[in-house]
Amino acid sequence: MDYEAVIGLEIHVQLSCATKMFCDCPNRPGDLPNRNICPICLWLPGAMARLGQESLEKAVLTCLALNCEIQPRSAFDQKVYYYPDLPKGFQLSQFHKPLARNGWLDIPDEDGRPKRLRIREIHMEEDVAKLTHEVEGRTPISLVDFNRAGAPLAEIVTEPEMRSPYDATEFLKALITQIRYAGAAECSMERGTLRADANVSLRPRGSDELSTKVEVKNMNSIRHVGDAIVHEVKRQTERLSAGEAVVLHTRLWDPDRGLTTPMRGKFSGPCVPDPSVPEVVVSEQWLAELRSRLPEMPTQRRKRFVAQHGLTRQEAASMTAEREVAEYFETVAEACASARTAAQWVANQVLPALEERGQSPADTPVTPERLAGLLALVEGDEITMNVAKQVLALLFGSDQTPEQLVEQHGLKQVTDSAELEAIVDQVLGANPAAVEDFRKGRKQAIGFLVGQAMRASRGKANPKLVRQLLDSKLA
Amino acid sequence: MERPSPGLFSHIEPGNAAPGSGRLAGKSVLVQPNMSVRGWPTAAGSLALEGFVALEDAAAVERLRAAAANVVGSSRMAELGLGLVGDTAASAVAENLCDVALVTDTMGEARHAALDAGAFGFKPSWGIVPRIGLIGLAPSMECYGVVAKSLDDAAGVMAALAGGDERDPSMLQEGVPDFSQVRRGTSSLAVAGVIGECLDALEPAEGDAFRAALLRLESAGIRIEEVGLPDFHLFRTVHNVIGATEASSSAGKYDGVRYGHRTASAENWNEMYLKSRAESFGTLVKAYLFQGAYFQFENYAAFENACRLRRRLVGKTEALFEKVDVLVSPTRRAGLEAAAATTIQATYDAFALSLPANVTGQPALSLPGIAGNGDFELGLQLVGRHLADVQLLAMGARLALLEP
Repeated sequence: MDYEAVIGLEIHVQLSCATKMFCDCPNRPGDLPNRNICPICLWLPGAMARLGQESLEKAVLTCLALNCEIQPRSAFDQKVYYYPDLPKGFQLSQFHKPLARNGWLDIPDEDGRPKRLRIREIHMEEDVAKLTHEVEGRTPISLVDFNRAGAPLAEIVTEPEMRSPYDATEFLKALITQIRYAGAAECSMERGTLRADANVSLRPRGSDELSTKVEVKNMNSIRHVGDAIVHEVKRQTERLSAGEAVVLHTRLWDPDRGLTTPMRGKFSGPCVPDPSVPEVVVSEQWLAELRSRLPEMPTQRRKRFVAQHGLTRQEAASMTAEREVAEYFETVAEACASARTAAQWVANQVLPALEERGQSPADTPVTPERLAGLLALVEGDEITMNVAKQVLALLFGSDQTPEQLVEQHGLKQVTDSAELEAIVDQVLGANPAAVEDFRKGRKQAIGFLVGQAMRASRGKANPKLVRQLLDSKLA
Repeated sequence: MERPSPGLFSHIEPGNAAPGSGRLAGKSVLVQPNMSVRGWPTAAGSLALEGFVALEDAAAVERLRAAAANVVGSSRMAELGLGLVGDTAASAVAENLCDVALVTDTMGEARHAALDAGAFGFKPSWGIVPRIGLIGLAPSMECYGVVAKSLDDAAGVMAALAGGDERDPSMLQEGVPDFSQVRRGTSSLAVAGVIGECLDALEPAEGDAFRAALLRLESAGIRIEEVGLPDFHLFRTVHNVIGATEASSSAGKYDGVRYGHRTASAENWNEMYLKSRAESFGTLVKAYLFQGAYFQFENYAAFENACRLRRRLVGKTEALFEKVDVLVSPTRRAGLEAAAATTIQATYDAFALSLPANVTGQPALSLPGIAGNGDFELGLQLVGRHLADVQLLAMGARLALLEP
């Protein structure tokens, strides 16, 4: 039988807040263990949880970035389970009354057409402590780190509408871009600030029934999410084809072996409204204020970059993938003559250089203004493209302007005809074989000679003038 | 210098600090060992918290000290404040070991303890005293209750305790009564309502004693009016279902790992939790937790129904105050000793008349020496509109002056 996959994602995003969700401890899970703790996030008797304003703000921004309807009233429940990472016995989570419902994101389908994927709900919840399992001598021990306990999370639950690993990974990419634009979270799977679990089930193609699903966890990159789904679909297909049933359970993705292994029986504890944490009330007025704080989102910005700056769709997509890059690009584009040149420079020169140096567009000595200055020199034929690349490297280690650097290093383009003629004559004299070739009709030999002249000038010669000189001398 | 414990105290603060000036200067206040005082053992009457020492003062304790009260120590108490078995606050007040005792009122404990001490017992409106540092069991039912021989002292302590605290988001941030007005307040009490269904539930002897008390109210110029509340019998069930469910969640943290009793031997952590908890809780709390777990895991619909009924009861009870100024009833039944109630059935029987105010969050005051006879003391309980605490205490002051 022909099966189709039904895939839904449950995505936990750690909100980038200064403090934890219900207390004033720093929200820095990576610090030395058990430094960022207090009676509230240690869940000691008598402590009371108080929802922090920033957690709510960042959660609402996340919901807005994902086109959700914010609920005017939402509430926290006590989600009961007993495990050493939750010594309170329950996790505060919005089970019955989530913060937002009915969101969506558009992804390009495999043919490049937009495909809308719906989000069922987004709710806030607190993170639990982190367990580390070790062996001390011959005794297995488990260490508990409360730095993460109470960290603010938003959990995004999609409708089971994805049909392929491609859908799931594209959805994740779009989601990450949107949330980062909103400034609500870092969303790094590698750094653990975004965790995605996949619910995977199969059904006969064309059917609309929902069959038993399997939850797959432990993927720590977008690629792993795709790989894990591919594997899980294959595993379930084999089972069903062999006439075996799929059992409801949770599996762990093992990236080294490229397969999933069963984890534990699915346990969902009861959820009772917390009697002490008040309802979360979001007023229209406050919502409007938050909405106004959202930047122009990527889809819109992409369209505008095409219309306003004349970028190709591909260039626009690459310039809008990150908010910081988009803002960087636009500042450069507005200060120089060709926005497309700016886009190409940002994509091909600046971003790789930043990556190499561990810098970000918002935090680099090569500010958009300095880059624009450099590009203006290229456009004004003051320096060649090759020299410009050299100057870019110099900009990272200096606070001088591009003009000053060009001046200081003597990199100005050589346009003086006497100087150029001397170089060209020298090249012609040193390469008789190439000259011979050209005269015999191998016109491409001129390219070699231009290259030699550029080299002799240490990249400073104006290549157009060199070409003209060579043409006239060889004619 | 160690002082011998007289047995009524689980902690005595050595060397009474000389307090400065303040509303409660010279007044001694006894707390329960579930009310956090930094550095004091805070076991809440439970093995589950054995050895737990509070890290911070409860907000209420901060406020008592700020008002220059002398916080003299802590009493002994029933496990996690459920019921009054083993509670010593009443004896401490009766023996004048303190001016005021704070008693966690989850189903009427402060009012019952007060009767045992021949004192006034007051449970304020829910949400006006911060609960930070109060280690309880059923958060939506419980609050600090006050036991004192003098109504002035009770009002004085309430004046210190009441008021918003941003650390407790469950509180009302406005509308908190100003208890400093109690003494100046003139009682406008004209009509006292008696819930017919409540009266019907009394034994003949109880009914006679209570009616005699009503006559005394009438002779003081108060009109008595019978009102109907057909759902009255539901208070008990609603309290039990919601209270037990909340208890099951809030007691989930007692696992014997970081504090409290831990079992001597276990094969793995799961067994350690199970055995530690089994050995820690007494039979009353354990039975309560079992009930709560049943509603959480097996019958959530019953819990939801109870919450719906609770909202209805609150609405209907508040509506009665359109006709009457205050509701009066006995505080307790005759012969049903709260201090001897060791099963859930017996506990709910004993507290049946006091727990409605915990369900509705309304203020309630119990007066001694008015309703009863030579054989038993029922207590006269006044229940007021939510946040009408000051008027309630002013009415109490007027009734307390009635000739015996």
